Amino acid sequence: MANAKSKEKNLTVVGASVPRNDVLEKVTGSATYLDDIQFGNKLLYARAARSPHPHALIKRIDTSKAEQYPGVKAVVTGKDFPERIGLYLKDKTIFATDRVRFLGEPVAAVAAITEEIAQKACSLIEVDYEPLEGVFDAEYGASDKAPLIHPDLGKYDCVNFIFPKPGTNISNHFKIRKGNVEAAWKQCAHIVEKTYKIPHIQHVPIETHGAVAMMDQKGKVTLWASSQSPFAQRNLVAKALHISHSDLRVIAPMVGGGFGSKAGLTMEAIPVALATKLPGYPIKFILTREEEFYTNFVRQGLTIHVKVGCDKDGNLLALKNMMYWDGGASTEYGTNITRAGGYSSSGPYDIPNVETDSICVYTNHPIGGAYRGFGMSELHTGIDQAMDELAEKAGIDKVKFLKQNAISEGDIVVTGMTMHANGIQQCIDNVAKAIDFSKKGEPSSSDRLRGKGIAIMWKAPAMPPNPGSSAWVELSEDGKATVGLGGQEIGQGTFTVMAQIAAEALGVKYEDVRIAGPVDTQYSPYEWQTVASRLTWSMGNAVRAAAVDARKQILDVVAEAWQETPEDLDIIDGMVISYKSEKETPLTDLVVYGLPKPNDEGWMGGPIIGRGSFMPKYVTNLDPETGQGPRAVVHYTVGCEGLDIEIEKETGRIHVVKAAACFDVGKAINPALVKAQIEGGFVQGLSSAIFEEIRLRNGVMTNPSFVDYRIATTTDAAFPLDTTYVEVPQDDGPWGARGVGEHPMVPTIAALGNAIYDATGVRLEGPPYSAEKIFLAMLDNGKIN
Amino acid sequence: MINPHPGLPELEYVKPASLSEACAFLAEHDGKAKPFAGGTDSFVRLRDGVLKLDYLVDIKGLEGTKELSFDSKKGLTIGAAVTMNQVAKHPDVIQHYPNLVQAANTVASYQLRNRATIIGNICNASPAGDTIGTCMILDGVLNIKGTEGERTIPLNAFFLAPGRTVLKAGEVVTSITLPPPPAGMVGVYKKLGRNQMSDLSIVGVAVLGYPSAKSPSGYAFRIALASVAPVPMEALKAEAILSEKKITAETIADAAVAAMDAVTPIDDVRGSARYRKLMVRNLTREALTEVWAKLSN
Repeated sequence: MANAKSKEKNLTVVGASVPRNDVLEKVTGSATYLDDIQFGNKLLYARAARSPHPHALIKRIDTSKAEQYPGVKAVVTGKDFPERIGLYLKDKTIFATDRVRFLGEPVAAVAAITEEIAQKACSLIEVDYEPLEGVFDAEYGASDKAPLIHPDLGKYDCVNFIFPKPGTNISNHFKIRKGNVEAAWKQCAHIVEKTYKIPHIQHVPIETHGAVAMMDQKGKVTLWASSQSPFAQRNLVAKALHISHSDLRVIAPMVGGGFGSKAGLTMEAIPVALATKLPGYPIKFILTREEEFYTNFVRQGLTIHVKVGCDKDGNLLALKNMMYWDGGASTEYGTNITRAGGYSSSGPYDIPNVETDSICVYTNHPIGGAYRGFGMSELHTGIDQAMDELAEKAGIDKVKFLKQNAISEGDIVVTGMTMHANGIQQCIDNVAKAIDFSKKGEPSSSDRLRGKGIAIMWKAPAMPPNPGSSAWVELSEDGKATVGLGGQEIGQGTFTVMAQIAAEALGVKYEDVRIAGPVDTQYSPYEWQTVASRLTWSMGNAVRAAAVDARKQILDVVAEAWQETPEDLDIIDGMVISYKSEKETPLTDLVVYGLPKPNDEGWMGGPIIGRGSFMPKYVTNLDPETGQGPRAVVHYTVGCEGLDIEIEKETGRIHVVKAAACFDVGKAINPALVKAQIEGGFVQGLSSAIFEEIRLRNGVMTNPSFVDYRIATTTDAAFPLDTTYVEVPQDDGPWGARGVGEHPMVPTIAALGNAIYDATGVRLEGPPYSAEKIFLAMLDNGKIN
Repeated sequence: MINPHPGLPELEYVKPASLSEACAFLAEHDGKAKPFAGGTDSFVRLRDGVLKLDYLVDIKGLEGTKELSFDSKKGLTIGAAVTMNQVAKHPDVIQHYPNLVQAANTVASYQLRNRATIIGNICNASPAGDTIGTCMILDGVLNIKGTEGERTIPLNAFFLAPGRTVLKAGEVVTSITLPPPPAGMVGVYKKLGRNQMSDLSIVGVAVLGYPSAKSPSGYAFRIALASVAPVPMEALKAEAILSEKKITAETIADAAVAAMDAVTPIDDVRGSARYRKLMVRNLTREALTEVWAKLSN
């Protein structure tokens, strides 16, 4: 054991900023994405006929003209596929059946020999609609005045931790009742009450959604999809189309950006539906940019009413949150965002009395899905700005206020769970120091204002209680290892991190580990989804276990051959060594052929394949009325961000002087990748803070292109960004690691809003904090003339 | 309803052998054909279904369309097929018309400017065209060829409405001539977009000034405004104020207010009319102050 211990202390690969193992193919453009795959001359193309109304009854669909159009091979509609599907709440169908609930909802689809013919045929599908009054505001939608969007809500299946209210548009109502909020207001010396509105935004991956499906003559279906969730897609499609899981194979090539949008199941079901009608034909469906903008997942909108109070010394006493989430036409995924927003609704603050109502509302807007942060950016935009205001009202230095109220080990969080050790104090210190927060900076010229803002965050992986990971590690004659896994590389670097984990646990060089890709549900081991910043922690545990298993198999064989005990052996850089006898042998050949027994009396060992799996087993459900329970989540990652900005008085334009971000990652398996995640997340957060908004007018998106949906480019991100991390270990993470994929975009809007306030003295209601909004707010508040 | 599946429609690409042939074809297919230079605007609009055509008539390479030359008497000639990057890199343009270089460099992205042309920017007749204002206050004159011969027309008399110009059936703008700049000219272009690169203008302000014995103030200023009226416009009243009154910070502020009062912007997805008006005032003031600082130095 001494050896094992000394090995733990001397990590060689874990903790090193090794280069990414997917960089060469991506930089050279040789990496294979969905649309690069060739499918031969039987390939057909799919297009969807979509609803022109945000809310309407379907009175009649006539596909006969489309079916007769030359080149058309199949036309499908909702009557062919009536099964409801959904991740948490089964409230949608592949195609609208009796009514359409958002503009762009698929009503029918066509497979044809060219995309143009498929498109033309879609235009020949006749649909009679009876338009209905729409719901375009979540708060109104939750009221009893609003028309019902899902009259059959009571009949829908859902998981046991989602609480729809049949007869209303409320698909989930998550409640927290901790302490006594009403009584606590009387003890508060200072109270802030605010409303924030956070608009819908889009993920805008460079690669739009795409999928190719083919059914063979035996009825086995293969789906190639740009996907974060090959296994979840297999599960959802299997259930919706009554295909056995074993007869459905999902292959997931490289992903050109996901950010949550390629989790769960959206447009991928359409080519599968067509494929079931056309055995032997691969059918390709790729979304246009316009479709990507408003027919697929978006980040749902939020209206949050927040009231928070503290005593005269600035100690937080009470928080009341009323959140209305604009879930759109289906909330099969969004209900769980609402739940996450609810159980994390205090933010990373220790507050004895909390009352939260987190309400998911159906509207006739695009469907809300997972988006990096999963509700946390929206939530923190509200509470972190209210906290900033409260600190000022109480006359307490903002950094001091954050540090004195931040959640710490042993605190009871809003759901009743006990908080684990975390590094939020150091995160705040690092950020405050990096932007010299306590010192008011001078503007660089007289026509600018300068201000600083800071905000803290937390986020737990939002998942069902039991999402599993599994992995295998196989060795080949050359002594190199191949890792089988089902989590997807979506740019975050997970293939690199998994190779590092396998190398470290097994005892081979990082360069000698390969990842078995692309992920293919027929060969790859199960992984729930690539979401929730969970892979480094969850899949990392599975890969580590598989590598440890392989290592044990190797050492057992060698120990037997050398007549030693495995405890005296080690594997270093692909060599098995004995600390006792000082013998050594390379892994080559022995990991496949085994070793001869002494005196040529046969062989021992054989091909080595290690297996590992991981699933959290301790997460409990919460009381539906109080949101209380022993353990709502697996863990929280905490962090802090700050900005030092200047604002042009003449235009309202923002210039970032410097920014800083720090997160507690438990253990940085690859420090360079941690920093890259923080940088990317920060810029995405800043983009959502200044530019991004889906402009919806009566259910119509008025800016469905890059002309008018602006995102930050490199020129908008040309400022110094100080990225640091702290490492307070996670008790059940590999080497103590926990995720940091989503977190860097969570506190950015609030930190910017606080900086804008510091610079201008004006609080804005909701992002994007455009130059126009800032300028007009300064003008209307008499800050400029 | 937005079209979820936009696509480039089928159309004929026509490559005439001469400008006369191009004009004849355009006249014959009036309303269904358009001259094609960079295509950076046409292709997007064709794909979106906003522009409907049967023919694109490629004028690149036809006589004179690739000309980019400077003559100290005649001034600068920019052919219809000359790209914005070619203009922005030309030593004579950099030396004599730095404000045009500045304006051209605010259009879209570098990659787009490898295709986009100044004449295309003008002929699209978008009020947001970033290079139009500067060409206008440099007294640009368009050289036009039609089936009935050639004519010239000053740029400031070219626009009728958004997307509409005085061009008649069969007419093609072959080039623009910018006269030699006034002695001692200083010019700037101020563009306000939502983010720093490649956006359309919320407001664009082109200003130039030069010493002028004819003006009581001793200086003449020209101001053109983008995205704040149905067509690119010149702020004549503001120019008059600057001509008549001694140039001071107050005069500049008065002129900026006059510019603001002259514009009639709309609310759209890029900005409100209210913000646009205020930005005309502020950016005009900023541009005038910057120009005056150099002139009076």
